[in-house]
Amino acid sequence: MKAELVLMGKRLDMAPRAARRWLVATIYMVLAAVLVELYLLDHWRTSGYYLIFATFLVNRFLLGGYQFGGLVKPFNERAPVRRVTPVPFVLLFGLRVWEPEPRDSELRNDEREQAQRDHAHFQAYQALIVALAPMWLLAAWAAGSSRLLAWLMARLPMTPMQLIYGLVLATIAMAITLPQSILLWTEPDMEEAEGE
Amino acid sequence: MPDNSDNSKGGPSESGLYNRIAVLRAERGVSRQELADALGVNYQTIGFLERGDYSPSLKLAFGLSEYFGLPVEAIFSTRPLEALSAQVYGRALPPHEEKR
Repeated sequence: MKAELVLMGKRLDMAPRAARRWLVATIYMVLAAVLVELYLLDHWRTSGYYLIFATFLVNRFLLGGYQFGGLVKPFNERAPVRRVTPVPFVLLFGLRVWEPEPRDSELRNDEREQAQRDHAHFQAYQALIVALAPMWLLAAWAAGSSRLLAWLMARLPMTPMQLIYGLVLATIAMAITLPQSILLWTEPDMEEAEGE
Repeated sequence: MPDNSDNSKGGPSESGLYNRIAVLRAERGVSRQELADALGVNYQTIGFLERGDYSPSLKLAFGLSEYFGLPVEAIFSTRPLEALSAQVYGRALPPHEEKR
């Protein structure tokens, strides 16, 4: 895991666990706010796709875990894809994300990091099972014209399908980001590399 | 009583193993990064090993053994390790130190 994040041209020290927890909490708060905003915009008809796209960008620039960048090393042990050409999106270019050329030890997980990675995926899997339960219940109620669902829907400004779709979007966003977030949340304060 | 062992940092908080990595590294003036590079691990992992928060694989334990030129049992133990100075010179702590 990298100890530094460069965003908007500024270097952010991510060695303290508190800083990483702040980042993770902020990301999920923003994603939740965006989810609500996008529902108000078009009931997620088109914007649902953009939400998932935005979640991949969060991984790309902040969380990592895939081959493109971010704090967590690639899960699959492969070197990140490096673009020779500039980022094609003006907005992303404006973020001025600078990534130093990584050392080999920053790309490959050693045995402790592999164990952590696997444990984080196990924890994320358990959390996703819990997240699937309400979706299953709502889908079952919707299929069976449940009175409970009718009671619930009378209190929510959306249709059953919209509610289920919202939960699906939130669960997919979690599935894409949760292992990296767990790693960032649980890794203790990082030490100095040159420490005696 | 003062800590006469080498385990002030290498306690078995999670791994169940005591170790002398911090002492050996300090003795030889090797940084975490240098040791990590030699062993092909992240420098954070050296810190985890030193604190006893991570139990290494056999491969890594033998790598450390080779690096320091010591047998594995001189670096790791399931019981608290005696201070190297006491082990080398065969001397216990002076009485005034033991009383403290």
